[in-house]
Amino acid sequence: MSKRGIAIIGVSEVPTRRMPERTRWDILLDVCIGAVRDAGIDKDDINAVFSPNPMAQPQIALEMALGRIPEVLGLKGCRDICVTNAGGTSTTNCIRIAEQLIDSGQADFVLIPHTTVQSDIPVQDLINFFATAPLDKEWEYPWGVSFNGSMGLITQRYMHETGATAEDMAAVTVGLRAWAAMDPNSIFYEKPVTLEDVLNSRMISTPLHARECNFLADGGGALVLTSHEIAGELGGKAAYKLGHGTRFMSATPVLRKDVFHRRAYRETSSDALEQAGLSIEDMDLRQIYGAYPYTQCSALEAYGVCAIGDGAKLWAEGRCSPGGDLPCTTMGDATGRGHVGSGVSMAFYIDTARQLFGEAGERQVPDCAHAILTTSGGSVMNACTTVFGREPR
Amino acid sequence: MSERQRPLPEIQPFSRPFWDGTRAHKLLIQHCCDCDALIFYPRRECPECWSTNLDWKESSGKATLYSFSVTYEGVEEKFADDLPIILAWVDLPEGIRMTTNIIDCDPEDVYIGMELEVAYRPLTDEVTLPFFRPVKL
Repeated sequence: MSKRGIAIIGVSEVPTRRMPERTRWDILLDVCIGAVRDAGIDKDDINAVFSPNPMAQPQIALEMALGRIPEVLGLKGCRDICVTNAGGTSTTNCIRIAEQLIDSGQADFVLIPHTTVQSDIPVQDLINFFATAPLDKEWEYPWGVSFNGSMGLITQRYMHETGATAEDMAAVTVGLRAWAAMDPNSIFYEKPVTLEDVLNSRMISTPLHARECNFLADGGGALVLTSHEIAGELGGKAAYKLGHGTRFMSATPVLRKDVFHRRAYRETSSDALEQAGLSIEDMDLRQIYGAYPYTQCSALEAYGVCAIGDGAKLWAEGRCSPGGDLPCTTMGDATGRGHVGSGVSMAFYIDTARQLFGEAGERQVPDCAHAILTTSGGSVMNACTTVFGREPR
Repeated sequence: MSERQRPLPEIQPFSRPFWDGTRAHKLLIQHCCDCDALIFYPRRECPECWSTNLDWKESSGKATLYSFSVTYEGVEEKFADDLPIILAWVDLPEGIRMTTNIIDCDPEDVYIGMELEVAYRPLTDEVTLPFFRPVKL
């Protein structure tokens, strides 16, 4: 067994809901305590707390950045603290910082908690923030570009180049919502949709219908990480990080030559698989955090799961949905889960760990031994791909 | 354009010539005198070679539609009077891709590959935004 390397050994999350009476601190305390207990360790074993930045919530973000979590929870073994912000890839950065501390012997256990409450923020303020946050104030915003509009532009071009139809694209959302309907932590639990439901929902920004866009919600989750070695000694459940790759594309969508992110998806998945000594065919589960349906297609193409342009077809044939032979994005992505800002990637890591623990309930992928997960931040400015396994290599 | 004031671009000292250009009905593209790169959007340093020896080239004002999205909702109140807005990414023959809106065109008639030409619309006395419209055959 390699001396280096990390594993997720505990997870916890609260249901994604719009529930303003549940405070940001309620969520934080619940997920921190839940993840430590799930890992089967003592609170004082935690050596560091690294948190993804809660977006558009400056007060809690500052409290977390300035060390309130270990103080409130009495984490007597805590040596380090920080909040990271790379949008939807913040959790990935927390994991990488944790890895450095664990690999260098400075920490045995690291806690990574996230909290977000958006239901107490006025809707127009949320539109203003999420419509403009990733956009250039001089070269995009004055023309009325929103997040949905940007992703509409990419999706329109994707359909033009691949020949994917509105029905094919809607099938992605139907599949994501089918997974989410089986997940008690999704805002859309027990609420699957049909192709007609998606296609008949309001047009937001062509070709994206309301049900293909994101519903902002509250939620949170936490991970406990340790070394491969300690995870092995503890002998409990563990999701071992086996390989990782990362690429940055561009902040502004219009400047991106790699419009559908295929190059970034291909290179990061190749890096991650090569380090893991595995191939894409070895993956039992594919997890793609792109927050808009086209990413669920272009990532599968770039991973090498199917030919370029055939991603939407896989979804239309039901192969990525529950019961399909290529299970994909079993937490439903932001579209199926409810968008909790920078916490969507947290939900992806938790779901991936649960699948490898064999604790994914109704959504459990049979005999799930390996999973590949890609997260992205901003307007899909980057791609960060990780391969996890239930055994170390 | 609407009665309501659309938001103005946050103009930088080094991008000022672009906006002076649109006011004079010229579409200017920043150019690096050292490495000959065409730069969009304008920067203080050339992103290719970090030179500050930059000037401007006038574009033909023609473009081809790379992609579009017709926005019906989910934008700030300031844009509400202009909905639906045809968002567009257009390719200039000089090799630049920029974000704009298509105007003087029914949303039903827009298609990828459509030939376009620049159209200038003043937002204020100071700021004129470049839009694009279909080339009349």
